[in-house]
Amino acid sequence: MVVDDEVDLEPLIRQKFRKQIRTGEYDFVFAHNGLEALASLIEFPDIGIILSDINMPEMDGLTLLTKLKELKNPSLKTVIVSAYGDMENIRVAMNRGAFDFLTKPINFDDLEITINKTLEETLIQRKALHEHDQLISIRHDLNVAREIQQGILPKTFPPFPNRTDFEIFANMVAAKEVGGDFYDFFMIDNDRLGFVIGDVSGKGIPAAIFMAVSRTLIRATGLKGMPAGECMHYANNLLCNESVSCMFVTVFYGIMNMKTGEMEYANAGHNPPYILKKDGTIEMVPTTGDIILGCFEDQPFKSEKVILSPGDGVLLFTDGVTEAFNKADEVYGDPRLESLLQTMKDFSAEKIVMTIADDVNTYAMGVAQSDDITLLSLKYNG
Amino acid sequence: MEVTDVKKGEFLVINISGRLDTSNYGELEKKLIGFIESGDKKIAVDCSGLNYISSSGLRVLLMALKKITAAGGKFHLCCLQDNIREIFEIAGFTSIFRVFNTLDEAIA
Repeated sequence: MVVDDEVDLEPLIRQKFRKQIRTGEYDFVFAHNGLEALASLIEFPDIGIILSDINMPEMDGLTLLTKLKELKNPSLKTVIVSAYGDMENIRVAMNRGAFDFLTKPINFDDLEITINKTLEETLIQRKALHEHDQLISIRHDLNVAREIQQGILPKTFPPFPNRTDFEIFANMVAAKEVGGDFYDFFMIDNDRLGFVIGDVSGKGIPAAIFMAVSRTLIRATGLKGMPAGECMHYANNLLCNESVSCMFVTVFYGIMNMKTGEMEYANAGHNPPYILKKDGTIEMVPTTGDIILGCFEDQPFKSEKVILSPGDGVLLFTDGVTEAFNKADEVYGDPRLESLLQTMKDFSAEKIVMTIADDVNTYAMGVAQSDDITLLSLKYNG
Repeated sequence: MEVTDVKKGEFLVINISGRLDTSNYGELEKKLIGFIESGDKKIAVDCSGLNYISSSGLRVLLMALKKITAAGGKFHLCCLQDNIREIFEIAGFTSIFRVFNTLDEAIA
């Protein structure tokens, strides 16, 4: 847009740039003072460069610059045209945010170079603005994913206040970029508690949805009272239909019989939990070698069993715990977790979870958390 | 993470070293898809220099395995470091992937 009160400038510019106008490279809009210029901006929001005189009636070029600044549009650039030697006004214009200046009488070759240079800058700005908008929309998506993830986890503790035969506590600290950890637990009947921990590969909305589907499938099959391995088999086949580009979930599913102390479990590619014995020693729940869910149909899943004695507990966790990095780029690791667990004799389920979460947090101090950190602790009181 | 590739006999040998995690799995995914789509049906991945793999990295390997198997090709892995092998065992991948101890066996 050219803003100048000299009316004969319009035919001159149209003539000088007729080639560019014909090819569609440039398109000109003319205004005769600052007010008209502002009105034209509303009418033609695509304007990228304003070429403005300083002295004009109604609203001069310097006031126009102030108004333009208020629009906060970084992809709109103003080039001021002023009398040769009018350094004072030019300085004011630059300080008010002018992108460049030209002197009168206008040298049209110089004008063309200036226009091209400014247009280039405008295009870069527009691209950046576009990307910025995209980023905002991605951030919005991530918030949706976070809500899906958080909304699905049981968060009231103690969840079964009338039960004295066991206690359960779980916590997830989500990474900045939403992953797909989850935990869940439910009473299958009066004696049996189903409890689950899972970790979906990948991040963002797809992972959050996949996690929600996994959790729902396992809960639905679990509540039917099916053996742990059969639940995994069933959930796996259904998840295989949902999985795009090999998204998968690792799951440990346990069924604790409070009457007998028997813990039945299936493990679909999840890192093995620990059993915390009453005497303070720890044992790893033997792995089953069964595969992750969501990728290969009709895989077998074993149901294994261990017996817990009153006072024993079991700790489920995701690899966000053992693969937390510290400043020296070293992982937290299993040995550190194991030695910490050995100090937890007589800890409550909640204290076990919070102590580990604190220790991981201290270890990784100053390093951005790259994965969700999820812990579930079950204590069998008998 | 560094990824290099070299043709050895019938196999395209891909060497992955360093850490394969959420920050760089996309890079490997693109490369693998590129190779598979340009017709490489026998790929061996040399993991001798790979010292960390996250679940996103495992997903990329799974994806490659599925794509190549569907195209009637072979996707072999070799020279897993102990910690990587352990992750593979926990995830149940040792029954799905063909894992070899040496590169020579993987491309035989």
